Amino acid sequence: MSFYKHRKGEAKGMFEKFKKAMGMMPKEFEIGAPVEGEAVAVSQVSDPTFGEEILGKGIAIIPSVGKVLAPVDGVIDTMFETGHAVSIHSADGTDVLVHVGLDTISLKGKYYTIHKQTGDTIKKGDLLIEFDIEGIKSEGYDVITPVIICNSDEYNFTPHIGAHVKPLDTVITLTPAK
Amino acid sequence: MKSFEYTIKDELGIHARPAGLLAKLAMKYPCKITMKAPKKEVDAKRVMAVMSAGVKNSDSVTLEFDGENESEAYDEMLAFFTENL
Repeated sequence: MSFYKHRKGEAKGMFEKFKKAMGMMPKEFEIGAPVEGEAVAVSQVSDPTFGEEILGKGIAIIPSVGKVLAPVDGVIDTMFETGHAVSIHSADGTDVLVHVGLDTISLKGKYYTIHKQTGDTIKKGDLLIEFDIEGIKSEGYDVITPVIICNSDEYNFTPHIGAHVKPLDTVITLTPAK
Repeated sequence: MKSFEYTIKDELGIHARPAGLLAKLAMKYPCKITMKAPKKEVDAKRVMAVMSAGVKNSDSVTLEFDGENESEAYDEMLAFFTENL
């Protein structure tokens, strides 16, 4: 009996592998942490634009290092000229917005250095923006950085939060909804 | 088809928050809603597309409504622009 069970399990594993190889398993897309820091629920963001998911589902990171890295391979859809936000269309078709701080558009680029431009092709891990955490805080702004999937209604969304994350640690997993 | 033209008065233009609210409002209606901005023409129901239009203060944009419920969509969208932008 145990022999039979063992064989059955093995056969199942092989079938799964076969399905994966044939592209029959649901695809999984992983979104890496664009900044290092503490990953928290987006509901903890005081700005309703993010907290109420007006732009889509997401997570937020309380940054400990002032660097935004590309969370996915893709193309920069919009690099805001103020450097406070960047949106990326991933190679898998996911729309990702990284918004560094709340209401920080009002800083008009102060404390932000842009390293890539709208239309640039990027690889996961490329440096996109540098920002001065202490400078932003000194002007009274919250530096919490929402990471939002703007087309999240097309996916099953799984956040990975409640821990300190290194750059590119997976913070969101997506599988197509249909 | 219905359309209106609007000149942006908000100092910050259509950044993330207004783009999100605009797309959310647009998604309530079945009709096709297009925003023609100086930089590009976008589907008003896609947040990322609306943001990527990079609409700034004093830019003129045209909103076009085509299809089912276009009149209601027109009225609500015009009210949204007047109040927020």
